[in-house]
Amino acid sequence: MSQDKTFLALADFLIPAHGEMPAFGSVCSFADAQKALDFRVDLKEGFDRGLDADPALSAEAHLEKLNKEDGAAFSAVTTIAICTYYMNPRVRELLGYPGQESVQYDSKATQIYLTDGSLGHVLARGRKYRPTPGL
Amino acid sequence: MNVESLSERGARARRDEEVDVAIVGAGPSGSVAALHLARAGLSVVVLEQGEWPEYNDYTGARPEHELVSTKLWHPNPNVRDNPNDYPVDTSTTDINPLMFAGVGGSATLYGAQWMHFLPSDFRVRSLDGVAEDWPFSYEDLLPYQLEIEREVGVSGLAGDPAFPPRGPYPFPALPIGSVGLRGALGMERMGWHWWPGSNAIPSEKFGELNACVRRGTCLTGCPEGAKSTTDRSHWPLALKAGARLVTRARVKEVETNEQGLATGVVYVDANGRDRRQRAKLVILCANGVGTPRLLLMSGGAKNPDGLANSSGMVGKRLMMHPFASILASYEDPLDSWRGPFGQQVYSLEFYETDERRGFVRGSKWNCMPSGGPVGVSGAIGSKVYVAEEGRFQDFWGANLHENVARRFGHSLIWGIVGEDLPEENNQVVLSKDLVDSDGLPAPQIVYKVNENSNRLLQFNIDRCLESVHAAGAIETLVSTPVRESGWHLIGTTVMGDDPRRSVVDQWGACHDVPNLYIMDASTFPTSGATNPTATIMAVALRNTRRMIAERRNQKVA
Repeated sequence: MSQDKTFLALADFLIPAHGEMPAFGSVCSFADAQKALDFRVDLKEGFDRGLDADPALSAEAHLEKLNKEDGAAFSAVTTIAICTYYMNPRVRELLGYPGQESVQYDSKATQIYLTDGSLGHVLARGRKYRPTPGL
Repeated sequence: MNVESLSERGARARRDEEVDVAIVGAGPSGSVAALHLARAGLSVVVLEQGEWPEYNDYTGARPEHELVSTKLWHPNPNVRDNPNDYPVDTSTTDINPLMFAGVGGSATLYGAQWMHFLPSDFRVRSLDGVAEDWPFSYEDLLPYQLEIEREVGVSGLAGDPAFPPRGPYPFPALPIGSVGLRGALGMERMGWHWWPGSNAIPSEKFGELNACVRRGTCLTGCPEGAKSTTDRSHWPLALKAGARLVTRARVKEVETNEQGLATGVVYVDANGRDRRQRAKLVILCANGVGTPRLLLMSGGAKNPDGLANSSGMVGKRLMMHPFASILASYEDPLDSWRGPFGQQVYSLEFYETDERRGFVRGSKWNCMPSGGPVGVSGAIGSKVYVAEEGRFQDFWGANLHENVARRFGHSLIWGIVGEDLPEENNQVVLSKDLVDSDGLPAPQIVYKVNENSNRLLQFNIDRCLESVHAAGAIETLVSTPVRESGWHLIGTTVMGDDPRRSVVDQWGACHDVPNLYIMDASTFPTSGATNPTATIMAVALRNTRRMIAERRNQKVA
């Protein structure tokens, strides 16, 4: 089996459709995975080993074998699969994840814990530290 | 001049030039010493084995962030595999030491949680009958703590009853967000202490530092230039004051003369050539692993056990703060990818000793966001929440989607930092077979989490679970002790008055080599349970001020 078919079979087993969330292969391609791999050249060797599959084995059986016998290859394949998936714009949209965004705020705004009494309770419970004068 | 152009400045000293001070390491303590010594008119050269940070390499604002940061910005040098770092032999330790070589030091990858030690931290022998008291007190150090806060640009809220009264922070506290509010809710329902987080992240623009935008990627380098690291807070001023900085300079030996005084250092430059930097004074600021490693590599035939080691204490008493974490998920959204990360809320409820608990000393808790979908899935990465013996299917397939749906955007993490008691068996030694990219012996860590720490962590985990459930948690995941958690490297060249039992005096001067100083956390007699960078920088400032004041009485070669 070619690398792309092997990878998509493994990725779809790892990340199937579930509820609103699509399967890996519905939103991501092997080319997307290769682009992700370009960010992590350290994984390339393991990734290639991980896709050298026995066609007689199912995706689950192949992953089980990799996990037991070649942890680096298992890690490379699964890392690329999950990171490619959660980098996908459609997947992020479904999750409601804008990425690590910039959030503007007013640094001088009065924080709610100062007005709702919660921090006042902390103060009312009194001193926590042990003083050490003379020691 | 902006910070990006600084790397073009700071040429090395002229051949055979003797400078007043050579400093090893451009992290928090070395940067403080360099700035203040240069301002006092001393000639200063700093040798840093790493390079200036490239802010464009911080991926926090880009989609590939979670993929790239688990390698390029991993805090474990063995994972990062960058030739500027040295590898560490971790075959004999329960906890991996975490560090980064570069201008700004390991703080490049810190969470910027800014905490003072408490008064009792300086008096553990007197109060609790363990370890040693420090040679100075909380009150002695406080003025330097406050001065450093102004240099660093700390944000926070004064008035915490867990500390003695103090003045205001330079900047208002960062927003604590839904994560911080939920963490506080649990503590409030238990009637326990909590306080809005203090962080070395200004909430407003300050010098070369931009205001925090809550990007939430503090631990993997701040692409905004908002997290305070000394490449931005101190080095622009230090270079202006005349300090010189040589990057990719790996110091391999501190040299001494027949009288046993330091004469300078030998370092390997970027081209792999040995160079000598002569100096009247040498200051080591290479962290609690790098500093003892350098001393053990120095000394020559006259000092087969290493330089400044007549006490036999160099490398011993390593403390790394055993750490546990609890991820708690809630039904309602917490926007838990948003920063700061950093601490949004902290607690010192269980900081002080209570003998009824079955252990001495205590802990600090910090409440943080849980990050992006890959991290909370638990499927890859540091395996913080993955049992090594677990089935892979537990984290993939439908389970992956359900785990992410339950945790992503809906969870927080409480980190529990436990005070680590000093034990001589926990130590840094030189590896017999692992070397760095220049062929120098790597450090080997020999470290076991002790029984006091195990009890301390379990007690605090139990309490933390009570707190998160009180706030409505629907799922909790516990990791203890976290192997990848040795951010705080403390105690390996201990300070004290007795040269038979300590390496340096209270001013950081080596008992054996009076013009050789150590100014990083190696010198701390105890570890406290708070994040140590504030104390590291304050102690460095105290030592530096003393050095300047006593310069005419300083013995030199």
